[in-house]
Amino acid sequence: MEIIIPNTTEMWVNIAAFAVLFVVLWKFAFPPITKMLDERANKIRESLEKAEDTRVEAERLLDEYKVQMAEARAEATQVIEQGRKVAESMKTEILAKAREEAEAEKAKAVAAIKAEKESAMAELKGEVADLSVAVAGKILGSSITKADHEALIDKYLAEVGSLNEN
Amino acid sequence: MEEMPTKIEHLLHELTVLPLSGGHGAEAAGFSLTNYTFWLIVAVVLLLTFFIVASRKVKLVPSGIGNLAEAGVDFVRNGVCVDVMGPEGKKYFPFLGTIFFFVLFNNLLGNIPPALPGTGTVGTTFTWAIIVFLVYNGIGIKKIGFFGYIKSLIPSGTPWWLSWLIFLIELISHFLRPFTLGIRLFANMYAGHIMLGVFTIFAAIFIEQFSAISIAVVPLSFLMQVILRVFELMVAVLQAYIFTILTAVYIDGALHAGSH
Repeated sequence: MEIIIPNTTEMWVNIAAFAVLFVVLWKFAFPPITKMLDERANKIRESLEKAEDTRVEAERLLDEYKVQMAEARAEATQVIEQGRKVAESMKTEILAKAREEAEAEKAKAVAAIKAEKESAMAELKGEVADLSVAVAGKILGSSITKADHEALIDKYLAEVGSLNEN
Repeated sequence: MEEMPTKIEHLLHELTVLPLSGGHGAEAAGFSLTNYTFWLIVAVVLLLTFFIVASRKVKLVPSGIGNLAEAGVDFVRNGVCVDVMGPEGKKYFPFLGTIFFFVLFNNLLGNIPPALPGTGTVGTTFTWAIIVFLVYNGIGIKKIGFFGYIKSLIPSGTPWWLSWLIFLIELISHFLRPFTLGIRLFANMYAGHIMLGVFTIFAAIFIEQFSAISIAVVPLSFLMQVILRVFELMVAVLQAYIFTILTAVYIDGALHAGSH
């Protein structure tokens, strides 16, 4: 039974051991360690928070760039579209103008031709009359009257005219 | 074979508290240091050296001895204090840490022959258990006052005719705590060393008086030694943990004494 009766010296030694250990550990040994543990925990927490912030910021920037890209693309499409429209309208304008000019040119030419033709016809008419009078005179002597002569010319001219219309 | 009882008696004698001067019996131990206190002082010196060196070596990126000390501190601070008492438990870490590392260093040192565990004697374990008893009751009394603390031993809602009985039972259970704490630690360490000693005696006797049985008994005794050593290392850590966590539970109970 004597082994469960505490020895007094041992008890005093233990009280001294507790006192020394508690004071030294509490005042000198534990504080740097616990401080470092807390510091590290804070550091890790801060780093994680910072990383999270950076990630959010990066995502925000990416979204921003995406929006900007989409805007730029839309703008480019718009510019191209506008350019195409301008080109289109210029094309029609140029074509219309060209057609108009060509038309005018043609009309002018037609008018000139017509005038030429008319003057040629008039000239021809005079010449044919003179010539036919001379020919008729030669064939018939001077036996046809002026009236016969006129009728003959008109008939001939009508024939020439119908030929011309073909 | 007739040597067995004398050898076992010798073993038990070696494991009893003896004065360092070599006298006989506990009476002679009087006021001189004992075999256990010698190793206890060695353990305390080792513990102080370890922590003073380690606390100068802690870095933000942990390594080496600083890392080892940090792991131990973190284990007690978070694994015991915070787990049992919540965040405010960190306040009691210096006390619980002192207990844990004292018990742990003594238990572990006792596993290195020829050292004895400083905790293998009731002189140590009862003293520390009494310190725990005084501290946790002190915390309770400081928190809600002496009479409030005494009153908290009776749970509210107890019928008046039962309250004196409950009070008595609670009082006894509180006064039994230092005994159970002390005996548990002492018995574990003491018994472990007796087991190791017994198997050593087996091996020694069967080698000295070599016979056919020795071929079986000696290797088995040796194997048991190895297994028990591993077991003792586990017990050393486990008992330090149990002593500390029970202390934390007692302090937690004292802190919440008024609220149940």
